[in-house]
Amino acid sequence: MRESIMIENLSKYYNNFLALDNLSLKVKRNEDVALVGPNGAGKTTALKILCGLLRPSSGTAYINGINVIEERERALSEVGAIVETPEFYPFLTPDETLSYLGRLRGMDGHELKSRINEVLKLIKLDEWADVRIEKFSRGMKQRLALAQAMLHDPPILILDEPTLGLDPRGMVEMREILKEARKEKTVFFASHMLAEVVQVCDKVALIDRGRLLVYDSIAHLKRKYRTSLEGVYLKLTEGAI
Amino acid sequence: MNLEFEKLKIVSKYELLKQFRRKRFYGALVIVILAQILMIGLYKGLDLPTALSKPGLGIIIVDSPELFAIFMVSMTSFAVLAAVFFAGDAIASEFEHKTGYVLFPNPVKRSTLVIGKYLACFLATLVILSVGYVISAIALLGLYQGIPVGILGSLAISIALVFGVLGIAFFFSSLLKGGMGATIATLIIFMVVSPIIRSSLSYTGHEPWFLPDYAGDAVASTYGIDFTKIFGGMISGGGMQGMMTMTPNPVVSFFVLLIYALVTLLVSIWLTKRREMI
Repeated sequence: MRESIMIENLSKYYNNFLALDNLSLKVKRNEDVALVGPNGAGKTTALKILCGLLRPSSGTAYINGINVIEERERALSEVGAIVETPEFYPFLTPDETLSYLGRLRGMDGHELKSRINEVLKLIKLDEWADVRIEKFSRGMKQRLALAQAMLHDPPILILDEPTLGLDPRGMVEMREILKEARKEKTVFFASHMLAEVVQVCDKVALIDRGRLLVYDSIAHLKRKYRTSLEGVYLKLTEGAI
Repeated sequence: MNLEFEKLKIVSKYELLKQFRRKRFYGALVIVILAQILMIGLYKGLDLPTALSKPGLGIIIVDSPELFAIFMVSMTSFAVLAAVFFAGDAIASEFEHKTGYVLFPNPVKRSTLVIGKYLACFLATLVILSVGYVISAIALLGLYQGIPVGILGSLAISIALVFGVLGIAFFFSSLLKGGMGATIATLIIFMVVSPIIRSSLSYTGHEPWFLPDYAGDAVASTYGIDFTKIFGGMISGGGMQGMMTMTPNPVVSFFVLLIYALVTLLVSIWLTKRREMI
């Protein structure tokens, strides 16, 4: 199986509103793909379906060849995800939270402990490991969200606006982490920040009103439209909100 | 199966840790302890057996360990109330406070999460309930030098009641958007809807054995004392007449509560599995 992620004719209705319209997309192993599009384009909906948080109205999705809709738990075993603006249990500390999530993923003992220390250091929350999350800022929670996504060293990262809520330094650090991660992982992430997309990804899937407008490498798109990625985005989404 | 059982233990452990870190756990514990101390003072200070006796009607109520135990265990109903507050937001908060965005994308079945949360809420409530029964037992030993055997049956029904209450709270928690709504809905079922139906049925001579709050009253009917003689006389003509005129059968009540627990928990699992994080 060469595809890490395969989305096939995915549609999703919220009552009468069509959020995804027959979306199909393939992300090959170790590819880094950004899902971009205007507000309400269906980016988060697509990621939520991939993470088993929503059921599609029609179509299906596969992760490493495993149907997410039919075998959610098995499909998600090799995925690390950040979806929307995640919250954590305020009464637990980062160390306890990661320990909980790590154990749910079959990690234990020394391996888990050392990996928790590693990811907390990576996201620069190691000094906050034993502080209850109720005291955390939005940015700190976002860092912790990345820590839990990377905890089990998954081959696939699905990230929804991973730099949201971070201060400028946090954004730079997060991008550096993602740039490092993309060397050996498949990264599929949604973002509004095209400067970030250019730094982290090779390819973009541009969607609007739930439909795929274009899916190509950034370099090829720039050549084809003879403009920056931002120019391509503006041209293709003209008239969108 | 084995792996899922391991995950169930992990979910229960961390959910229990969450419960133990919440102020409401300690609040409920303090309330149960204070309520029981207050009851000891009221029972002995006001000489309740004599106060409840109606010699004119031929009702003479004699003080006994069994009667004292009834009053004491009635105070453990605060522990059952605590269960509602523990469970009301157990599922709903994952959606309402967005913690589900972190929890649900993990390779764990939603049924495991629901059962794990349920067990954690049960264990947290059991701690408070146990403290209530231990205080009752100590008071009985101190005042009467003995503990009526009926206290074991009472404890069993209390545990079944906690299971039932948790099941109903979990049902609402998986159905409604907010934890507060689920908590209020559960309390309304127990404190408004069920008593109204119960009262209406009692007036017409039908025993409301299938109602959860009536079945829960069986915590006091394992001591071999007829409720109707004690409380029926006390509230004659009062607003609660009709509610205390029947004594629930402990065995029937035990199974009624377990059925409530099982059915509502199953429905809660089904609802949670279907629920989307929109």
